[in-house]
Amino acid sequence: MNVIGKRIRKVDGFELVTGRAKFAGDYKFPGMVYGAVKRAGVPAGRITSIDVAAARNTPGVIDVLTAKDIPGPNLIGVLPPYDQPLLAENEIRYAGESVVLIIAETAEIARSAASSVSVSIEPYDPILSVEDALAPDARKIHESGNITLSKKLIKGEVKSAFEKADVIVEGVYETSFQDHAYLEPETVCAVPGRRITLYASCQSPFHIRGHVAANLNMPASSVQVVQAVTGGSFGGKDDVAAEIGSLACIAAQRLNRPVMIAHERKESIIGSNLRHAARIDCKTGALNDGTIIAREITVMLDGGAYASESPFVTMKTLIHAAGPYNIENVEVESTAVFTNKTYCGAFRGFGVPQVTFASESQIDELADKLGMDRLEIRRINGLKAGDANATGQVYQQSVGLQETIEVIAAQPALPDRIDVARYLHGTGYACVAQGISNGAEGIDVTGASVQMSQDGSVLVGIGLTELGQGSRTVWAQIVAEVLGVDIENISVRLVDTDSVHDSGPTVASRSTTVGGMAVQKAANEVKKSLVSMAALMMQTDEENIELRDGYAILKMDDAARIPISSVATAAYWTGFPLMNLAFSKAPEANFDDDTHQGDIYIAYNYGTHRMDVQVDTTTGEVKVLNHFAAHDVGRVINPLGLEGQVEGASLIGFGMAHMERIKYADGIIQNANFADYALPSIKDRIPTKSIAVEDHNPTGPFGAKGAGEPPVAAAAAVFANAISDAVGFRFTRLPITREDILDAIQQRGNHG
Amino acid sequence: MRYLKPSSVSEAADVLESSRGMILAGGTDAYVYMAEGFCHPETLIDISSIDTLRGIYVATDDREEEVIRIGACTTIAEIAASQDLPTCLRQGARAVGSPQIRNLGTIGGNVCNASPCGDTLAPLLCLDARFVLRASGGTRVIACEDFFTGPKKTVLKPNEFLEFIELPASSCGKASAFRMIGNRKGQAISQANASVSLVMVDGRMSDLRVAVGSVAPVPLRLGKLEEFLTGKRVKEVSLAMFKEPILEGIRPIDDVRSSASYRQEVTVALVFDALAECASKDSGECEGAGA
Amino acid sequence: MIRFKCNGKAVQLEAEPEARVIDVLRDGLGLTGTKEGCGRGECGACTILLDGKPVNSCLLLAGKIADREITTIEGIASEDGALHPIQEAFLDKGAVQCGFCTPGMVLSTKALLDENETPELEEIEEALSGNLCRCTGYGKIVEAVREAGQRLMHESDQQGDA
Ligand SMILES: Cc1cc2nc3c(=O)[nH]c(=O)nc-3n(C[C@H](O)[C@H](O)[C@H](O)COP(=O)(O)OP(=O)(O)OC[C@H]3O[C@@H](n4cnc5c(N)ncnc54)[C@H](O)[C@@H]3O)c2cc1C
Ligand code: FES
Ligand code: FES
Repeated sequence: MNVIGKRIRKVDGFELVTGRAKFAGDYKFPGMVYGAVKRAGVPAGRITSIDVAAARNTPGVIDVLTAKDIPGPNLIGVLPPYDQPLLAENEIRYAGESVVLIIAETAEIARSAASSVSVSIEPYDPILSVEDALAPDARKIHESGNITLSKKLIKGEVKSAFEKADVIVEGVYETSFQDHAYLEPETVCAVPGRRITLYASCQSPFHIRGHVAANLNMPASSVQVVQAVTGGSFGGKDDVAAEIGSLACIAAQRLNRPVMIAHERKESIIGSNLRHAARIDCKTGALNDGTIIAREITVMLDGGAYASESPFVTMKTLIHAAGPYNIENVEVESTAVFTNKTYCGAFRGFGVPQVTFASESQIDELADKLGMDRLEIRRINGLKAGDANATGQVYQQSVGLQETIEVIAAQPALPDRIDVARYLHGTGYACVAQGISNGAEGIDVTGASVQMSQDGSVLVGIGLTELGQGSRTVWAQIVAEVLGVDIENISVRLVDTDSVHDSGPTVASRSTTVGGMAVQKAANEVKKSLVSMAALMMQTDEENIELRDGYAILKMDDAARIPISSVATAAYWTGFPLMNLAFSKAPEANFDDDTHQGDIYIAYNYGTHRMDVQVDTTTGEVKVLNHFAAHDVGRVINPLGLEGQVEGASLIGFGMAHMERIKYADGIIQNANFADYALPSIKDRIPTKSIAVEDHNPTGPFGAKGAGEPPVAAAAAVFANAISDAVGFRFTRLPITREDILDAIQQRGNHG
Repeated sequence: MRYLKPSSVSEAADVLESSRGMILAGGTDAYVYMAEGFCHPETLIDISSIDTLRGIYVATDDREEEVIRIGACTTIAEIAASQDLPTCLRQGARAVGSPQIRNLGTIGGNVCNASPCGDTLAPLLCLDARFVLRASGGTRVIACEDFFTGPKKTVLKPNEFLEFIELPASSCGKASAFRMIGNRKGQAISQANASVSLVMVDGRMSDLRVAVGSVAPVPLRLGKLEEFLTGKRVKEVSLAMFKEPILEGIRPIDDVRSSASYRQEVTVALVFDALAECASKDSGECEGAGA
Repeated sequence: MIRFKCNGKAVQLEAEPEARVIDVLRDGLGLTGTKEGCGRGECGACTILLDGKPVNSCLLLAGKIADREITTIEGIASEDGALHPIQEAFLDKGAVQCGFCTPGMVLSTKALLDENETPELEEIEEALSGNLCRCTGYGKIVEAVREAGQRLMHESDQQGDA
């Protein structure tokens, strides 16, 4: 391998370090105007009247739009029937709901005019908890009721299994809402015309195109969505990009002027999706030798006002709740519920962090009850090749969980604990598995094109987006490896719905795996042309030709070589195709809808983490002394990129576990800014050491599996276990803040 | 909006008198208020480039006593880096926001903004700071402990601004320390903070000042605790012992940043740590301004 | 009319003194490398250097930069397009993911290394504590700052030898 497995720097990095990269807010067009919305400000009610007179009369205001000005259905969402209006017409379902769109000469004017709009709302008693939403006489937030989706997974017979169990542990675990807090707030810019173009900071341009077209009442082919360089997404820039993207396009077409809508930070927090808060009831039964024989888990997700990705997150929690263990009897029920809060959707990890926290906490409790080593119990029960996981799916290879456990076990232990009165020390372990590909959530197809020019340089196109995770670099590496060209000669296009193939959403750690397969396939077709051509030129058989270092080389005589550019030129004039559009389709999930038994994902990423912490008993402050994160990634394509993914995802998990909590009071978010919503700063970072385990995955390019998400879950869970170990108290709610820690220490002190 | 940039203190006082505009120093608080729509000043009087309002030097005050004088527009970064100021004030300055904020923000702004969580307020209080207030008619001097009247409220009249902060020259001979805790480690706003200054005489604490911030509407001196500690050796006291005098003194609230009970508990720890740091040092830690 | 120096060049443009410097740079001068992540001084994406010191351009009013010198990300690489050692180190060490925090990070790093090419870990953390990054977890940023310091020291050694 020449390029695969090497520390390659980002292929699109030059623009980013020089400030030349064009993010959506950096676009500028003559005559451009700006949009801002008036939000409901109350969590639930019915609009009785809207007074826009003051806004209309504000100098600089050009247009004022309400729901009736939307040409199409005024709806967006992820799964039909869509449920989320662009601008609310009657019902208000959360405080961040957009009601009126103001277009003005400047963003400031638009904002201040928006604040002058008065919306009269007859308030309802807001439904602010899952319990209230499920109460028998609860008001229905949507006509369909307050349950978004409820599903069951049934494997074996939990009831009788629990009767056989020697020990049983039970508990309730809770997690809070988390904001994506990407540094770039959501921004779009629409340029009108017979065909309209939308430049958007977004994750899934084709999804947005569909919504824009529908709401404009235009055919999809009349809408071009171009992904601008995107300043982070983590799952978050989808629904909201469709919302403001559609609004900007509608206004642009009305006014025949380019329209930009850029969220302020506050809007980014209250007006776009969050990570679901969850309540997880978990029960585990085991034999005295440590074998887990039954798990029964109920997951309740607070999904906020709209469905968004809730159905898929429900599925994900259902499938992952029992953890990466070989358990014969499992029953899980997952339910997502509507409440009058900001809607929840995709966020890196996609439900797995919540259930992994619950599951891994309980594994520790079980080990303690059995008097067993906490790593040993994971070894005993951890999945191996050939085992059936919770959905009964069996993988014959690429199940590297045990290896990640051993790698973690081999890390140096903490030096002898110096528990001077003031500081407590603790160590935690956590395992995770996270499915790769859309799996049960839908068909998984990706299209990619590889096109070589006569000079040997290559242009790659794919419908999945670069969001900072380094996918472009991975795809370029794959092409460089297959075609033997220098990575500097490879460019990966911006995603433009006019010129790349719809590849579904950039989610589920699928970019490297499913996306990479399509790229590899297309590159292989181009390779065929080059090899055929080179064989003709060297008058030899095709199998004697190798593409490497920018040359077609005769295998038996390294000196016999022709530059790829010459081969490409010859191929062009000979009529051999130098471009290919390939599709990669993941094997379709095949499972029973009532029990969720069957084959779901093309592969899982497995991981084990260890964290050592020191706790200050006088303030509850935590210092993370070590964090080891081992993941089975099949095959490392780019160590630099992989480490970055593991480190970044781990800190998001740590933030979820220790620092970040969206605070509501009466349905209104109280900390919608970065001073009070504490995402980690550089001083809060943790010393993550990423360790790669490579258990070849036959369904990924060169054996690779995605790794962008699983560390979030493992890092959150391992923090909880490490802190619980240090304090000697089982924390069951995330985040575990300094305040919670100090409380626990004092209560422990008081009671003994 | 009018934006004025007077070039001298007297000009500033005159414009303030005639316009009743809003004083702008670094603007780090003022800008945020305007952006959030909390205030809509018609006139902004930017005093940050008036030379005499910047710098740290030795002077004689209105009582003919030697003082360390700090210009109101001295930046927080300059305070943090100064070798001529007591440790607690420098540590408090270092706890303000980020390097970017400290390069813009001024100590005068921190004081006049009068946020209960302002990180230089407890240090100034425990150093017996006095504030020189300027109006077109002249100046008046007010002790730090009389300056703050409530959250974001001070005795400043609409025609007055803060010209100097003065510390007794003797404050440089004291040992002092500041501690804070926030909702994260970097760029955090204080959930609680504490500042201590003292002189060790034969191993015993004397001339003790303990001030705390973010736990009451204004920064507070903890007189009871000072009394309790005076004359004692640091080794004789434990955290448990001074919990009570502290809890008696403070009036924390629940807000989005912290619960009242956490503020209470943590204040005890912060005071204890600051005290321990003081005791571990010889007194006389800074050179004195201009030396 | 406001006069100031930007990236080494004298600039003069029509702007209200109460306009924000970030808008003056982005809209007035087309220097869109300076990013807005929060508009409230809380994220550091808008960091620029004012007389060599990092400040939040989203809090800075244009009236305050008269006759002063500003450096933005566009002024870091050399005129011929060659990257500055800090930029090279950020790429080599994988300190850039989405890149939205990067301009601010690079400028805060420059301010630090201009004073001290071999900063301690605590000094690096302090210098970058006003720049949030959601993507990297910061570890690689710390490595990049160290690496950049080393490279700058080499450069100045070589210039010293020459
Ligand atoms: C992101 C962020 C983080 C922050 N973190 C902290 C923190 O951790 N700790 C902390 O203490 N503060 C913090 N602050 C608040 C602020 O930066 C400080 O209070 C700073 O010292 C204010 O100084 P300034 O010069 O910018 O004040 P300005 O904004 O210019 O003024 C603040 C107020 O004081 C008045 N004023 C200013 N100077 C005078 C004067 N000489 N006479 C009379 N009135 C005057 C103004 O009219 C205004 O009402 C933070 C601010 C931001 C934006
Ligand atoms: S945009 Fe200026 S600090 Fe965030
Ligand atoms: S690289 Fe995305 S915020 Fe730092």
